[in-house]
Amino acid sequence: MTDLMTGPGAVLDDDLLRLSPAIGYTALVLVALSTVLIGIYGLRISRTTGDFYVASRTVRPWWNASAIGGEYLSAASFLGVAGLILISGVDALWFPIGYTAGYLMLLLFVAAPLRRSGAYTIPDFAQARLDSLLVRRVTSLLVILIGWLYIVPQLHGAALTVRVTTGLPPWAGPLAVVVVVCLSVVTGGMRSITFVQAFQYWLKLTALAVPVAFMLFRLGDAGLPVTAGGSAFTADLDTTADASLYGTISLVIALLFGTLGLPHVLVRFYTNPDGASARRTTLIVLGLLSVFYLFPTVYGILGRIHTPELAAAGAADATVLLLPGRILGGVTGDLLSALVTAGAFAAFLSTTSGLVVSLAGVVSQEFFQGSVRGFRTAALLSAAVPLGIALLTDSLALAGSVGSVFAFTASTICPLLLLGIWWRGLTDAGAIAGMLTGAVSCGGAIAATAVVGAGDRWVLLSQPALWTVPTAFLTMVLVSRATAGRRPASTSRVLARLHTPEPR
Amino acid sequence: MTEEQPVVPRRVRVTAPRTAARATGASFPVAREMAEQSEVGQLFVASLIRSQLRLALVVAAGFLVILIGIPVLLALFPAIDGVTVLTVPVPWLLLGLGIYPLVIGCAVLYVRSATRNERRFQDLVDDD
Repeated sequence: MTDLMTGPGAVLDDDLLRLSPAIGYTALVLVALSTVLIGIYGLRISRTTGDFYVASRTVRPWWNASAIGGEYLSAASFLGVAGLILISGVDALWFPIGYTAGYLMLLLFVAAPLRRSGAYTIPDFAQARLDSLLVRRVTSLLVILIGWLYIVPQLHGAALTVRVTTGLPPWAGPLAVVVVVCLSVVTGGMRSITFVQAFQYWLKLTALAVPVAFMLFRLGDAGLPVTAGGSAFTADLDTTADASLYGTISLVIALLFGTLGLPHVLVRFYTNPDGASARRTTLIVLGLLSVFYLFPTVYGILGRIHTPELAAAGAADATVLLLPGRILGGVTGDLLSALVTAGAFAAFLSTTSGLVVSLAGVVSQEFFQGSVRGFRTAALLSAAVPLGIALLTDSLALAGSVGSVFAFTASTICPLLLLGIWWRGLTDAGAIAGMLTGAVSCGGAIAATAVVGAGDRWVLLSQPALWTVPTAFLTMVLVSRATAGRRPASTSRVLARLHTPEPR
Repeated sequence: MTEEQPVVPRRVRVTAPRTAARATGASFPVAREMAEQSEVGQLFVASLIRSQLRLALVVAAGFLVILIGIPVLLALFPAIDGVTVLTVPVPWLLLGLGIYPLVIGCAVLYVRSATRNERRFQDLVDDD
């Protein structure tokens, strides 16, 4: 089924998947242009070192939260959620719930302490907390791996969007995204990125919300079915079996605890002035995400009535792109399709650039002594590797492949952060043992799924978080206990810094 | 920042800090540092961490019980699937709409209590 969707030389029903190329190009140019303009505006107002590092300290929580939302809402959210709802109905609603509630966990356990740690990246935090270069190295490698795995689905989404909207071959989309991201990162660095990302949140929201309003109005006006008397909810378009209870719970655990280890998410928290405002920002982010996810849900439901054939064609992720044209048609349909396409591009660009920037920071500090040249090389490297992977692999459902990255993060970085922030007993040996156990078990399960396929019998492998996350935690605790002599002398001081409020 | 600045700020080359230690700077006031190192101060800090952790765990546990409870209930009572409000089945309403106010409610509750814990700690330290 999925072979049909992508892969070089895939056969696609042209009538099914076609928008006028003019729409696609217009949208591409609009997004690129507005991104550049806002970037220049941001560049103008930030010139000094202080501006560079703490630019966001002068930015209000609303801007900051919008930027976080802009960076976080990826291809999986913008296209994948609606596609998954189209295919598997109510079970797919767990994805947006997990993506949102992940920020609740971040708020409860990580936001304020991590901001107060002053660490800029996760490896920085690991080194400061555990006073060990080896922990730093292991964490860096994991962060780089996670970043690469997370960029790949973004590029798959770009391939799909560019193919649907412009008819260009599948490699064009990923290449375009990587080139734009590299150009902006290599030349401009991160200076103005907060404004760009914040703008892109609102662009994405508008791009989904405005067509929904038009579509619902048209459907109501013409007396066409909205939910078709409820059959939108019961229609069985699924080509696989229903999600099991185990699968659902495991997925929720992965999404809840994976969010708080994502590299590009954590970088953003450093841009808050203090711990208390980190919390306020997270609160706003939760609101922004909750509002946003209503719209992909509506697309998914409408898609079940108006574009059900996309499920069988293996192109469910194109639902958001095709639905406005299908329901509205004419000039209105074209304009709104362009808007949705623009939103999709914004999603790939913002998430990919956020990831590339945070990865480049880690890679350059680890391997290039943190020089500017090194940062640029690292940025190219951070984008080129996932580009290669994306071009060599076929995309699965976007939301699903992002889900396994969350499981991997939850099994590796999450225990390090949670135990590092809240438990005095953590040692460097324990941290390394736990992270490696989580990486091997979860990574192995994901790799095995790729080999045997995600059947019902293999749900333990395709949704591994429910057993790999506790295993990683347990290993970390037990090995730390066994090596209690290795507790760093600075533990009390570091923990005090993490948890005491900033002076009034 | 405190240096005299030209009218138009000059562009400065920026490099990443090598370690977190440099990045954090030493902005903690002496009084606070002493409070953290003194025995009483350490006691205060330990009790702050405990109360924050307890708060976070309670909120997380409450949220997870409700969240995990939904699929468990749906699995135990499949008849819920048939109940609809304006043609929308109840599971869709719960998962598509109902969860989000719960998430935000939990978050607001947590932020308030966490801020209160911190204020109490600050009052203690300042009194000392």
